[in-house]
Amino acid sequence: MFVLSLIKDTVAIQPAYFAVPPEQAIISELNKKYANRVLHDVGLCICVFDIAQAGEGKVRYGDGCLWYKVVFREVVFRPFTSEVILAKVKSSDEEGIRLSVGFFDDIYIPIMYLPTPSAFDPNERAHFWFSAFEAPESNPDYVPTQHELLDTPTEQRMYIDNGEILRVRVEADEFFDDEPGPPKAGEGGIMQPKAERKRAPYNIICSIAEQGLGPLPWWNPQEEDEDAMEEG
Amino acid sequence: MEVVSARSALLSNYEVLSLLRELEANQLAQTKIALRVKKEEDERMAAAALSKGKGKEKEVAPPSTVLQHPIEEVSENLRTVEFEAIQYLSADYQPTSRQSDAAIAKLVKKLAQYDLTKAEKLQIVNLAPTQAVELYVIVEEIEDRMGDHMDDVLQLVRESLTAIPTSTQGDDVKEQKTNATSTNGHLNDDEGWDDAEADMDDVEYDDTGEGAGVEGDLEADDD
Repeated sequence: MFVLSLIKDTVAIQPAYFAVPPEQAIISELNKKYANRVLHDVGLCICVFDIAQAGEGKVRYGDGCLWYKVVFREVVFRPFTSEVILAKVKSSDEEGIRLSVGFFDDIYIPIMYLPTPSAFDPNERAHFWFSAFEAPESNPDYVPTQHELLDTPTEQRMYIDNGEILRVRVEADEFFDDEPGPPKAGEGGIMQPKAERKRAPYNIICSIAEQGLGPLPWWNPQEEDEDAMEEG
Repeated sequence: MEVVSARSALLSNYEVLSLLRELEANQLAQTKIALRVKKEEDERMAAAALSKGKGKEKEVAPPSTVLQHPIEEVSENLRTVEFEAIQYLSADYQPTSRQSDAAIAKLVKKLAQYDLTKAEKLQIVNLAPTQAVELYVIVEEIEDRMGDHMDDVLQLVRESLTAIPTSTQGDDVKEQKTNATSTNGHLNDDEGWDDAEADMDDVEYDDTGEGAGVEGDLEADDD
C-alpha cells in the first residue's frame, strides 16, 4: 500500500536554517511542503524517505535563500488496484460504506461492491449481508429486493457496523484536481466564495464482494458463527 | 516540482512503520535538546539581567535563541500523518507487532521458490495470512498455480511471526520494541514536556519495572 516515488524539486532554505546541516534542512523543508498532501496521480505523501541527489545551494538575486535542486524519494500511500488492505468502517449510508485507515479516509465501498444479497438497514444505519439466503430452484439468479431483505429475521443478518475492521480489495482510484481558477472580480471587487461541494482530491474505491473479504470475524474460524463460512 | 517516477519501489507496511518510528524518535530527541539549550540560555540570560539590573539585554537576546534552533518545530502536517500512520500500522489487527526485519527477509527468500508475483509477495508480508481463505484473497487462481503448496506457504508465514503479543513471555522483537520505547522515555524524562508528557511518564514508569507485565502496558499505550 505504500510506494516510493522519485520526485525532483527545488527548495529554498531560509537563512535562519543555515546553521543546520543542509541535508536535515532540506528534508525538513520537503516534509513541510509534501507531508500529508495528495500529489495528483501519485498518491498521499507521508514523508521523505531519502535524498537521492542534491546540487550546490545557490543564492539568487532578490532573496537571501539558498536554493537547492534535489531529487528525493518520498514515501507515498497509494494502494495498487487489486491490492488487499485492512480498513476501519467510518460511516455507512444508502450509497455505500466509507472506510478509514486513520491517516486517510476517502475510501469508499459503493453498494455494487457489497456481497449479494445485502441491504441497508436505516434503523441501524448499517449495511448487512444476508448470507443465509437461498435462491429458489426455478431461478438461481434471483436477487431479493430490499424490502424482502428487510423482512428477514435480524439474527440471521450479518451487519457491517461502524468501527469494524474490513478486509477490502482496491478496485479503482481516482484523482480530482479541483484547483480554483483565476480569481474573478465579483461585484464591487469582492470575491464570492463558491458554495459548491468539494470533491476529495484522491478517492479509493474498494470491494468486499468476494469470499474472504469483509469484516475480519466473518472469515476467522475462531470467532465465526456458522453462517459465516457458508457461501454467500 | 516534477515527478520522475510515481512508483519507483514498493514498501512493506513494516518498513514504513519502522521508518516513521525512527523519525518520531529523532524528533523527540531533537526537541529535547532544543529545550535544554533554550533553558540554559534562559538561565544565563536571567543571571545576566540580574547582575546588570536592566532589561535592555533581554530585549535583544530572545530572537537569537530562536534563530539558533529553528529546526525544533516539526510541521503540523508531518506530525499528523506520522502519528496517524503509526497508529494504523501498529494497531492490533495488523501483524507488524509480530514481525521483525530478519523474519521478513527470511520469509521473502523462502517465498521465492513459489511462482508468486512481487505484489503477491508484498501482500503476504503485509497481511501475514495464516488461513487458507486469506491466501485465496491475495493470490489469484491459487488452486491452479499453487496446488498443494498452499499449506507450505501458510506454514512459512506462521514461522515468520513471533508468538502472539498478548503472551507475557518476552520474545526478541517485543523486547527490542520495549527497549526502543523506553529509550524514548529516557530522552525526555526530565523537564517541561507539555503535550507528550502524560504518555511519556507512563513509559518511564514501566521502565523501572522492566519485565513481564510491561509489554502489555506498552501495547495499550500504542493503541
